[in-house]
Amino acid sequence: MKPRLLRSALAVCAMACCFLAFGMVLSSSAEEQASECLNCHRQRNLNANEGILSSQLFCYSCHQDPASHEDFRDVKVSLQVKPEYFYKSSHQFVACTQCHTDVARSPHRSSSGVTCLQCHITFFGAPGTHAEHIRVRCEACHTDSQFVALDIAGNEVKLAHTNTKLLPISLAEHKTTDVSRMEFCTRCHNTDNQVGAPTVVLPSKSFVCMACHYSPLKIGSPMFLVAIGIAMIGMIGTLSFWFRARVQDEASSVHRKFQLGSEVVWSKIFSREIFPILKTVFFDILLQRRILANSVSRWFVHSLIFYSFFARFALSLFTLFLQKVSPESELAMTLVNKDSGFVATFNDVTGIFILAGVAWAMFRRYVTKPEYLTTQEQDTIALVIIGLVTLTGFIVQGTRILVAQIPPQVALSAFVGYFMSRLLSMVNIHWQSVYGYLWYFHAVLWAVFIAYLPFGKLKHIFTTPLSLLLNYKKD
Amino acid sequence: MANQTIRQETFRRFSVLQRAVHLTVMFAFIGIGLTGFSMAFSSMAPARAFAWSLGGVESVRYLHRVFAVTLYLCVVTEVVWLIYFKFLLKGNLFGPHSIFFTKQDLLYFRDHMGYILALRNEPPPFERFAWWEKLDYWTLFIGMQTMGLTGLLLWFPEFFSRFVPGYFINLAQVLHFDEAILAVLYKFFIHTTVRHFRPEVYPGDWTIFTGKTTKEKMMRTHPGEWARLNASAQIVPRGER
Repeated sequence: MKPRLLRSALAVCAMACCFLAFGMVLSSSAEEQASECLNCHRQRNLNANEGILSSQLFCYSCHQDPASHEDFRDVKVSLQVKPEYFYKSSHQFVACTQCHTDVARSPHRSSSGVTCLQCHITFFGAPGTHAEHIRVRCEACHTDSQFVALDIAGNEVKLAHTNTKLLPISLAEHKTTDVSRMEFCTRCHNTDNQVGAPTVVLPSKSFVCMACHYSPLKIGSPMFLVAIGIAMIGMIGTLSFWFRARVQDEASSVHRKFQLGSEVVWSKIFSREIFPILKTVFFDILLQRRILANSVSRWFVHSLIFYSFFARFALSLFTLFLQKVSPESELAMTLVNKDSGFVATFNDVTGIFILAGVAWAMFRRYVTKPEYLTTQEQDTIALVIIGLVTLTGFIVQGTRILVAQIPPQVALSAFVGYFMSRLLSMVNIHWQSVYGYLWYFHAVLWAVFIAYLPFGKLKHIFTTPLSLLLNYKKD
Repeated sequence: MANQTIRQETFRRFSVLQRAVHLTVMFAFIGIGLTGFSMAFSSMAPARAFAWSLGGVESVRYLHRVFAVTLYLCVVTEVVWLIYFKFLLKGNLFGPHSIFFTKQDLLYFRDHMGYILALRNEPPPFERFAWWEKLDYWTLFIGMQTMGLTGLLLWFPEFFSRFVPGYFINLAQVLHFDEAILAVLYKFFIHTTVRHFRPEVYPGDWTIFTGKTTKEKMMRTHPGEWARLNASAQIVPRGER
């Protein structure tokens, strides 16, 4: 090759290299610039782990620093998010902005706080606990902080941003509460709490409370287990007594009696006779035609009690169904909340009806004493139990309204409960401690009701419809 | 008109428990099929409309599980009955009245195929349950176990992935779907056709609902059982109308 040609080839190469290098420098600086903008102005894909982690890292670039803080009334409040807590929590694969939805903006400040209910259905697990704490914000229990506050105007219990000495505290740690241990309940449920919580941790409602209240499908307190046990023994005893009788000439084998009996029931249900049976169910059992024929005032007394319980039971069953099928719906949320206008009014009206019915029945039994009425001991027991349960129900409700400091515009829907709370407020004792005893008194009474069901007068709730159904042809 | 009807001698074929379980399984199966397929084919408009009418996919999922638990409770009822039958009634699990497959069923199956292929002149003398009736029962019974297991894996994936690798959840999803198609095809087409659309019982075989069968039907479809009944000379017609 000629030297001249070599030289010019080299020159061309050098120029090309220069251009390339210049271009690279230019483009890399543009890329850097772009990435600097994109640090913030980038829509991360929060459906994928890459987007979530890069979003977390972006927040961490400031919030991991132990020195990150906010000056609040001359106190340095740490804003350091501790990865050792956060990465152990179940939210480790959730981006910060998925909970703190309105914080990624300027000014860098949130108005809504953390939004749990965007992902979690309210009654996700533990429906018994959550339904009772409907005005408590999620983070008040689920964040590991000792300080809670009651917002009376908003009717909410939330995490406090200050401690008992009113000094600001940091909530940036992201340490979650271990809810499998009951100790966290004492954060509110202690002797001198300011958030309107009873001083004791009360057990969950039992499914037997369904007769009047929405309640989860669990046994609840052991006393209900005992009551259900006694009731079961009584029912088995009654059933075995019934099956001692002859069924279609069969005297000995219970298996055969059951077979014959069930055959009769089946053949009645799937035949034309179902229509007179349904007629009996509607007129005699639901509308209580026989009692009405007997005496109008008797029907009225009985209906005051019967329909109130029936309606309450129907409502709590419907609430349970709705809460299972569509927990996030507004209707389910309203029905589960016992302070909501409809539920509170409904409960108070039906409660008043039951009380009126019991009072009228007592008046008839012990004052006017019509000739056809024979009052036995079991009649008195049944009336006293039902009357006391309802009365204590109102007292418990009044105490709860008083203790929890529910604002009048909310509490007035429960007109009896609110009146009761005003009445109780005149007595200056520590109602927060009394509430637990009142609650237990009401619950024990109901447990007694359940246990007593198969033995005394209350047995008629099952036996009367049954005997009406068995004798449906006679009218 | 009533006087002109001939009163047929009837026999009890299914107990009340069997009728009740069948009725429950029937409705729960329809329910679980509808809810399940409306989730599996969620991209299709009819499935979405159905899910919407039930209040969204959450409630479809919930109802699917309610039906699943109901179906499995029926399986549990059958097992409890089996234990009761064996140990308290001292029954024979592999006798002629049993739903269990025995060696005799193989022979009957061979003879039945021979009859269908015109190699034999008469069908075999089936006992209380013929081989296809047993097959009907056991496909559902065993299917419930596998559907239940894969269904549980899909219901509690976090719990099960403590013990099995994660791809088991994907496997469960595939198997649950495939077997659902198999079960629905079998029950809605083969079972329904064989039981209810045969010319001699069309439009439906009511025996499983009323529990009663007639003498004529018993002689025709279960000659073995009929012969045994006569041989033991315990003809106690029950539940005659």
